[in-house]
Amino acid sequence: MSTTLSRYAVAMSALALLLAGSAFAAGPAAHGSILAALWKWTPFLLGGFGFNLVISALSMLIGTALGFALGLGLIARGRLMRAACGFVMNLFRNAPRLVLLFMCMFLIPFKLSLFGTTVPLPGWEKAVFGMSLAVMANVAEILRGAVQSIPTAQWESAESLAFSRFQTLWSIILPQCLKRMIPPWMSLYSIITMDTVLVSVLGVGEVMTLTGEALASENNDRLLLPFYGYVLVWFFLYCYPIGLWTARLERRYAVK
Amino acid sequence: MRRILGTLLLSCAALAGATAARADVLDDVKARGTLVVGTKADYKPFGFRDATGAIIGIEPDLAADIAKRLGVKLELVPVVSSNRMQFLDQGKIDLMIATMNDTPERRKAVLIIDPDYYASGVNILAPKASGLKSWDDIKGKTVCMIQGSFYTKDIGEKYGAEILAFKGVNEATQALKAGNCVGVVYDDTLVAALLLEPEWADYGMPFETILEQPWGAAVKTGEDKLAKIVSDAIIDWNKTGFILAEEKKYGLPNAPYAVEMNKKYAAH
Amino acid sequence: MDPVAAWFRWLDDAHGINFTVAYDAFDRARFLRGLLMTIELSVSSIVLSLIIGAVGAGMARARNPILRGCVYWIVQFFRNTPPLAQLYFFFFGLNSVLVTHGANGLPQPLVGNVAWAILSLSLFAGAHNVELFRAGIEAVPATMLEAAESLGYSRFGTYRHIILPLAFRISLPAVNNNLVNLVKTTSVAYAIAVPEMLYVSNQIWSDSLNVPEMMLLLLVCYLALVGILVRFMGWWERALRVPGFGA
Repeated sequence: MSTTLSRYAVAMSALALLLAGSAFAAGPAAHGSILAALWKWTPFLLGGFGFNLVISALSMLIGTALGFALGLGLIARGRLMRAACGFVMNLFRNAPRLVLLFMCMFLIPFKLSLFGTTVPLPGWEKAVFGMSLAVMANVAEILRGAVQSIPTAQWESAESLAFSRFQTLWSIILPQCLKRMIPPWMSLYSIITMDTVLVSVLGVGEVMTLTGEALASENNDRLLLPFYGYVLVWFFLYCYPIGLWTARLERRYAVK
Repeated sequence: MRRILGTLLLSCAALAGATAARADVLDDVKARGTLVVGTKADYKPFGFRDATGAIIGIEPDLAADIAKRLGVKLELVPVVSSNRMQFLDQGKIDLMIATMNDTPERRKAVLIIDPDYYASGVNILAPKASGLKSWDDIKGKTVCMIQGSFYTKDIGEKYGAEILAFKGVNEATQALKAGNCVGVVYDDTLVAALLLEPEWADYGMPFETILEQPWGAAVKTGEDKLAKIVSDAIIDWNKTGFILAEEKKYGLPNAPYAVEMNKKYAAH
Repeated sequence: MDPVAAWFRWLDDAHGINFTVAYDAFDRARFLRGLLMTIELSVSSIVLSLIIGAVGAGMARARNPILRGCVYWIVQFFRNTPPLAQLYFFFFGLNSVLVTHGANGLPQPLVGNVAWAILSLSLFAGAHNVELFRAGIEAVPATMLEAAESLGYSRFGTYRHIILPLAFRISLPAVNNNLVNLVKTTSVAYAIAVPEMLYVSNQIWSDSLNVPEMMLLLLVCYLALVGILVRFMGWWERALRVPGFGA
């Protein structure tokens, strides 16, 4: 635990130095104003970053639920079911996430009329839906991998004890799978969080879009490096601990 | 198999779209008590952000005036060139005042309001040292543009230049400063505004302005009632010199079109 | 080509399904150029990222702790930040700083936007590869290293002739996954105006307003590219298989 904390502390101090350094690189007179500009826009940009985190959290929630269902379909006994689920999974895994997001943004209508009520669908909700599809496909694959890593002996023992397939899955296999699924699932969360910046290309007001707008308002090209560096630092500070934690969990749950 | 999925997606979208509400936008606005207007948020001084994150600029001010006339609150939605017409069509915004040039193709897609509220032509922002004199000089060279501009394809084909199209104004000027292109092809009023700032001292606007196109505010096709109100507002702005005052407020030189329109309507 | 083009034109007139790429020569040329650019980005980044992975994994075993630390932090940086933001940092940030001045005082970029895209993508995938190769290296049995040492191999020789080939084969399935991800990630180069498939499709649908059709075409092309890569990697895995390692 102390190595983790010390590594994180080293990272944070190095990044702080880097940021200050890039501000200094622009010349002594300017560095004060660069840090001032960063500070001035921080609340605005933090709001954007928070939005990224919300999008990723929602996508993971919805996608994991859907992914479990799809994953169970992947290990089903019927060949047709397995093939259909396999097709859906491959479709959403092999499609670039940016293209998936484009499709959702352009093809899903702005509002749905169901039984007399209209439900508005703002851009970010469509983005969440698109990301959820990507998460769903990955979670299904993680689930399938986890189930396959359970020794066959477990299935055979359950069968000899007259467990039905459903009972076997529910009481024996899945509980063991959950632990094994956590490290790749956390890794997926980190990846999805980083991928939320893709929605900026579609005009959703998350941190990259807002950084661009802040830069447009300031209209000073010496701010380019510090501002984009700032955003990178935030993502690093959020995702690096997740990576460390994932590695720790992987070591703990390593099955011999 | 993939095609089936695609058609399924398309038909779902079409079905949902067909059952979307068909009420009049003006009635919706009055019922809601808010007018939702799409403006730029990265295009100083027509629409940009202040440090609190609010969208300010000439177009937000124009939108605020319309909301005042309707007696409702104003809500601004940031748009970019490549999604402004889609947002209008999808009903995400009621009105769009987003530096959009009025062209016949666009009139087919949305209802552009007459008279046009502003005009500009197309020119280039290039370093003085580049030695570019006329449009033919960009043949074979790389120029930066904004995605979604109506002249992207035309200028590329007509003058044989390589086009680098970026999402926003900021990205294009950054690329210019780094030398990735010889110039940014862009609205002449914006170039003139930029050239007033000290950091662009070594740059100029060497070509003759072409493709003079008025800018139109737009509403969704068929929304005639809202269009009429906006049209009256625009005439009033030109009459009272509101647009000229706005240009001055944000440090823009007065565009010849605005001056002309002011003269035309003030006489009445 | 004429009957095919004619049929697509009919499809547009009769049903409004507009595949301009099929019947318009200019759009078709544009799209094909975009496809070629995507392939160029993918192949260049794959090769460069594999090299970065091998070199980085080697440096991570260095005796010098500063070198090991450098590799560690660079890898962590590229693994924990979004590729789009990395690209923006490189192209809009670093590029502006690294400007040289040409003959007549005009700014010249050090490299063009395609080169920055390849560099950024290679570093992104390369960082992941370093981790994957390191895991592969750790999986090489210690007995192999001892045998190599007893045969008089130098440290570098051991790495080059014994460890790297075995580690590469062990980590190949995971690297395969990473490279597929890389091919999909090339679409972010759209943001810096690299004329790859997504950028070109955007231009086409801005002109012809045929968004769903272009999306479909784009999806099919990416799935085809990924399919080809997976097929190739599968063949490569089988060709490199060493008995006694892996499934």
